[in-house]
Amino acid sequence: MEALVFWIAAAAMVGFTLLTIAARNPVYSACFMILSFAATAALFVLLDAYLIAAVEVLVYAGAIMVLFLFVIMLVNLRESEHEGLRLNPLMVLAAGTFLALMSRAVKDLGSAVQEAPNALVGTPGTLADTLFSRYAVPFEAVSGLLLAAILGTVVLARRKEDA
Amino acid sequence: MITVQHWLVLSGMVFTLGLCGVMMRRNVILVMMSIEIMLNAANLALVAFNKHLAPVAGAVPPDGQVLVFFTIAVAAAEVAVALVIAMLLFRRLDTVNVDDVANLRW
Repeated sequence: MEALVFWIAAAAMVGFTLLTIAARNPVYSACFMILSFAATAALFVLLDAYLIAAVEVLVYAGAIMVLFLFVIMLVNLRESEHEGLRLNPLMVLAAGTFLALMSRAVKDLGSAVQEAPNALVGTPGTLADTLFSRYAVPFEAVSGLLLAAILGTVVLARRKEDA
Repeated sequence: MITVQHWLVLSGMVFTLGLCGVMMRRNVILVMMSIEIMLNAANLALVAFNKHLAPVAGAVPPDGQVLVFFTIAVAAAEVAVALVIAMLLFRRLDTVNVDDVANLRW
């Protein structure tokens, strides 16, 4: 059962990601990417990372992709500017080399790693215990980063005549 | 039986697709979406390692999952700023094609 869900979700993730980078229309790309994030959330559930799965749907598929869609609509490309894919042998070589090296490294991993006997479950409680104790300082730093990003966005997006 | 290798190969495949997207697409918004795909693949690897590399005895700390939280927060901040830059690019130069914005290229 677990294996079946894994294969279906993994196929969906790879397939929708492929459609994302191959679609000519940016709006279609964004829609396929939302589906790919949904498949990723299913995979996170399979890894017992329940809170991460929820955050993936809320933040990635919800907030970030809506932002992307807004900007795609604002930029409003003319039909002629929908560019196709540009394939260069060097790109294929680079991507192939990366994939080959990665697969080799994964193969070397061998049986060194085994699933922990006492399964880790990523509920809000277990994550909060770690996040607000050992990672309290990085947590505060990230809140500062988000504030800086908000301010930077507002300053950048302001039109000159408002200044 | 799904082992950690399955997860890592899946993560690597998705990361490679994102890499191809960055190299092949010329629309700056699509390039950013490909970067998001790569970040997402890295998140998947982090969570898979968290589950499979946990210590044999004692309570398992969800360090990998906490790291994914930070990745998502940083990605959200990055996307917000980058999309505004893309919008300004379109407003000033009337293009979102990265080949048309090569002034700083050596």
